[in-house]
Amino acid sequence: MSEPAIEFTGVSRWYGDTVSLADVTFTIDGGVVGLLGHNGAGKSTTLKLCAGFSTPSTGSVRIFGANPRRSPEIYRRLGMVPDHSPPWPFLTARQVVQLSARLHKIRDSSDAAEQALATVDLVESADRPVGEFSHGMRQRVKLAQALVHGPDLLLLDEPLNGLDPTQRGHVIDLLTRLGVEGRTVLVSSHVLHEVERMAPRVLVLVNGHLVAEGSTDGIRRLISERPRRVLVTADGNSRALARELLDTPAVDAVRLNDGQVEIETSDPSRLSRELPVAAVRAQTLLHEVRPVGDDLESVYAYLHERARGQAR
Amino acid sequence: MIGPIYRLTLRALLVQKRTLMLAVIALAPVVTALIFALARSPQDGVRDFYSTIVQQLFVPTVASLIALVFGVSAFGDEREDGTILYLVATPQPRVELVVAKVAAAWTATLALVVPSLVLSGVLALGGQASIRLIGWPLLGVLLSTLAYCAASAWLSLMTRRPVVIGIIYILLWEGSIATFAASAAKLSISAYGRAFVAHALPQAAKPVAGTVSSAIVLAVVVAVAVAAATRRLVTAELP
Repeated sequence: MSEPAIEFTGVSRWYGDTVSLADVTFTIDGGVVGLLGHNGAGKSTTLKLCAGFSTPSTGSVRIFGANPRRSPEIYRRLGMVPDHSPPWPFLTARQVVQLSARLHKIRDSSDAAEQALATVDLVESADRPVGEFSHGMRQRVKLAQALVHGPDLLLLDEPLNGLDPTQRGHVIDLLTRLGVEGRTVLVSSHVLHEVERMAPRVLVLVNGHLVAEGSTDGIRRLISERPRRVLVTADGNSRALARELLDTPAVDAVRLNDGQVEIETSDPSRLSRELPVAAVRAQTLLHEVRPVGDDLESVYAYLHERARGQAR
Repeated sequence: MIGPIYRLTLRALLVQKRTLMLAVIALAPVVTALIFALARSPQDGVRDFYSTIVQQLFVPTVASLIALVFGVSAFGDEREDGTILYLVATPQPRVELVVAKVAAAWTATLALVVPSLVLSGVLALGGQASIRLIGWPLLGVLLSTLAYCAASAWLSLMTRRPVVIGIIYILLWEGSIATFAASAAKLSISAYGRAFVAHALPQAAKPVAGTVSSAIVLAVVVAVAVAAATRRLVTAELP
């Protein structure tokens, strides 16, 4: 039986007092997998550990069954696109990709480089120094050097950063195709809708903890079903509105705050239907209805709390 | 596959602005020798002056500082800008990466120090210049700069302040403590480099060891530094 592409077992990584990754366990083998999380969630640390650029403080990381730090031969099957770190600015794109092909011991490095450059649509600019490139073009050079040896495992740290919509679509199509071919692609992002366009499976990291794992649809459902808070500004009779809302099935809790009504609900769509009815019964007008804590950070915080609750 | 990494590193080292600054440092002995050549009188000891310039300026300061900066930069620059990742994420044996880096740093160092030493020798010695008088010091510089480059490359993988530590070693340990404490000189790279100067110039200070012993010590320094750097490259946290 072949070894899985990536296997994390109880992996933690800390730097001084800062915990970057806490007791993370997962296995990935084949297809595109999204690594989702806010900035500082531990996505880059996870990818660095996969790529053998860092050593776990505890636990073990196995890439195709081997320790990537001790087995340089693993890199014949692994390609890496780091988030920062553009390639050498004085080399042309073609030189960068050819160098990568040679270092990966590809027999016909020139031909392989041409194919990789064509894949990322960079043939026409291939003889310009990387230092003259825009951020998006540098991203494509990084992608080409990672693809040139046809790796079985591709690690990409925020690969869509700096790309225009057309280029994003192109890269997403490319990664989707690689996944369909049976390669393993682990791609980090902090934007769910970006990840769900290419990854049928997602790992969600919050503050170094793996808080959710599963199908992208499942994670989307989990997020949409989380309790929401809505702040309502009514015309005068807020107390009556709050009383009416307490008898409304879609409402879990109501709080009066400086004349505003704060509602907690597990069913926002039902609330949107029941709130106007409650307002009519309370004989008040609604001035403003505003969701609270609907930003991505709040979504991650919810997933974190939920994971801690399940752990308890 | 040492060749591509060697050429890449050499190019990266030489395109930096600091290479110009290092070239100015390399010119210091040449300018000193030129002034001596223009102003000397028949009574001046030509060999004494040449011995002094090579022993007290060239080997312990000029060559060592240039080798330190290039040795540190071979890995340090790429660790700083993250390009080291593109080399590490390849199936190249780590020892080959280190050897290629050290070789590139040494080549860049020699590109500055060899013309400087030869020119200084020709100017200072005038009609007395010979292959023996310039060749032996040159051999000392070749071996000592290789040892400095290897040790500096290792240092750049160990600490975030390799240049500061290297300068403290060169100026404080080698330039001060090792000059009056004989046992301390045994831990000085430049002291073994100077042994080759003393072989050609009897006027030079008593060497810490013979030429064969010095060559062996410097070779051991290179081997240990390369091995330690290779080991460190496997365990170091990369950007």
